[in-house]
Amino acid sequence: MTAMELSRRRFLLGAASLGSVPLLASCVGSGGGEAGGGQASATITLQSSIQDTAPKAALEEIVAAYQGAGAPVTLNAVATEQFRAQLSTYLSSATPPDVLTWYAGSVANSYAAEGLLMDLSDLWTGDGACARFSDALRSLSTSAGGQAIFVPTSYYWWSVFYKKSAFASWGVEPPTTWDGFIALCDQLKARGIHPLTNGIGSTAWMASGWFDYLNLRINGADYHRALLAGQRSFTDPEVVAVLEEYRRLIPYFHPNQTSWDSQQAVTPMVNNEAAMYLVGAFVTQYFPEDQRDDLDFFSVPPINPSVPSAEEAPTDGYFAAARSDNPEGAKALLSYLASPEKQQEYITKSGSSNLPTSPDVDTSGFSPLVQKGIQLLNNTEEITQFFNRDSSDALQTTADAALTRFIADPTDIPAHLRDWQAAAQQVFSS
Amino acid sequence: MTAVQDAPVQKAGAPPRQGRRRRVPPLVWAFLLLPLAVELFWVFWPAMNSFSLSFTSWNGVGAARPVGFENYERLFADPVFITALHNNVIWAIGFGGLSVIGGLALAVALNRPGRGVGIYRSAIYLPMVISLAVTGLFWRVMYQPGGPIDVGLGAVGLGSLQQQWLANPDTALYAVLIAAVWRQVGYIMVLYLAGLKGCDPSLEEAAAVDGANAWQRFWKVVMPQLRGVNTVVFAVTVIDSLRTFDIVWAMTRGGPYNTTQLLSTYMYQQGFTLVNLGYGSAIAVVIFVLAIAFIITYLVRQARTEEV
Repeated sequence: MTAMELSRRRFLLGAASLGSVPLLASCVGSGGGEAGGGQASATITLQSSIQDTAPKAALEEIVAAYQGAGAPVTLNAVATEQFRAQLSTYLSSATPPDVLTWYAGSVANSYAAEGLLMDLSDLWTGDGACARFSDALRSLSTSAGGQAIFVPTSYYWWSVFYKKSAFASWGVEPPTTWDGFIALCDQLKARGIHPLTNGIGSTAWMASGWFDYLNLRINGADYHRALLAGQRSFTDPEVVAVLEEYRRLIPYFHPNQTSWDSQQAVTPMVNNEAAMYLVGAFVTQYFPEDQRDDLDFFSVPPINPSVPSAEEAPTDGYFAAARSDNPEGAKALLSYLASPEKQQEYITKSGSSNLPTSPDVDTSGFSPLVQKGIQLLNNTEEITQFFNRDSSDALQTTADAALTRFIADPTDIPAHLRDWQAAAQQVFSS
Repeated sequence: MTAVQDAPVQKAGAPPRQGRRRRVPPLVWAFLLLPLAVELFWVFWPAMNSFSLSFTSWNGVGAARPVGFENYERLFADPVFITALHNNVIWAIGFGGLSVIGGLALAVALNRPGRGVGIYRSAIYLPMVISLAVTGLFWRVMYQPGGPIDVGLGAVGLGSLQQQWLANPDTALYAVLIAAVWRQVGYIMVLYLAGLKGCDPSLEEAAAVDGANAWQRFWKVVMPQLRGVNTVVFAVTVIDSLRTFDIVWAMTRGGPYNTTQLLSTYMYQQGFTLVNLGYGSAIAVVIFVLAIAFIITYLVRQARTEEV
């Protein structure tokens, strides 16, 4: 009887201790993904939010080939939405992933202000991996406190994409002036072709692409940045002018744009039912392989000749967690990923039209489209990123609601802008 | 039960054992307390946290800043929250009403033996096997411009009704609602089928002999016997409609311009997309209070009617 009691008690104790191990482990591991455990100092964890098939495979291949600093690398791919939601948990946990993919911009800066990002300044000086990167990239990667916190490895440009063969068969040319652009749209529409396509259904942020460009062309990059930083009001006459120009474009969009996402919006272009698409260079992946060489682009033509030229070029890359227990290993991995060879390998293998950030990448092997993209960005006076990267995700949701509603009913612009300003005020005051 | 009652009779001569029996053995305590501890830690502690978080402003980094009732004041000045609240009422009525009426009707229709009844029952229950997120994707394809629904409308001469179901703010919420009901109806049907199996057929026969028509037999004889199932169905429906999230998120993400936002999707967006944890928690608390209020009032009413 007592023996049985004892063994029963021992069993319970054993069960309790067995039960507590995974509990504790999951407490520790919940922030750091697979990083928990005693081996964290040896293994470098790279937390990735890259989801498109080809870029994901390319990164996996590059990481698998990594032999640097004697430390193996674990690559965790997390869905972008989840990654975004958990980013703060990752960074503030006791065993954070060492290196993380993310975008340059306000999100990185706010984490840097909390002291959660590793100071990467030594990568930007001397013979560091980023030392020869351009000044624009340097300022983009520097926090308000003056530390380098980001390693940009690729960026891409936004422009109006079209198919060369389709333009040739319709006998039209890419426009160089805004009036020429509107005339082209009229000409295409008269032939029963939808001049513009877009996908603002489940990717409502695509509506901000045109907003950004019209604002850049009408009011200039300085005004655009001030507006997104909350220093100007969406009820300004400047913004009214932007939406009035936007209103002119609405009849030219494919009417199904409100049901599509950014990827589905390519379909009418593939079938030559729509002509042009203002989108990032990642769009090339959405086209069937045999049509990719047919793609070309032109920059949104100037509207107000007195503002300097500007293009949108969102920058992707990596940052490292301040609490990483292997800072040297993390920096070694960052240097590896930022090296010209690996940038080139990533861009070639991922099949995207991303541009390298390193000036030492041999670009002669890249497609003519990418070469033209590099030229576009080299020749512009101002570079911005994209609405949410220049402002914040919270402000992006106000833009999504305001712009999609405006596109559905563009009659009362001041009312839309009043609502937008009210929503934006909430974001800036909270 | 019987063993406990019988024991004193059989072993009347052993009083110490009786005493031991009344004491709860430590093993039982362990089995009670261990799950309680797990429950407290994994369920109640986070829930309480979300209460306290709702009085702060916190983006997940650094210390939370206490703001008192500011989040709640903001809620009732927030047009999106008001839309979400309004949509939740439409959702609860539409989702609850349609799936209960549909499920009950189907259960009654398929309760009698007949050729292929099993196939019909499984076909109607089948959507329940698919996860809501997948259901959402499937229905998104159905509602696509030029998709099966638009083509179907065109084929039967109702081409004028064709539209962008999910992009039109007037139809989007109802389009999602139909997809959710399509799935829920099979579940409710199975619950009612089980209830109908438990009904006494002789009562219905007796009523038929007494001259009751089909409607009277159903409403006055069968329905009262289904009271237990009704309680379950009501609770399940209210809870399901308040926690509906995945299908809306998969189909519209609360769009177009927040017209299909439910409390749950808005909470998710604030809490996890924008990492506005204090504000998101305040919405979560509102959802919790609504759910509890509904369930408690219903249970109290139910208990009262049973006493009478």
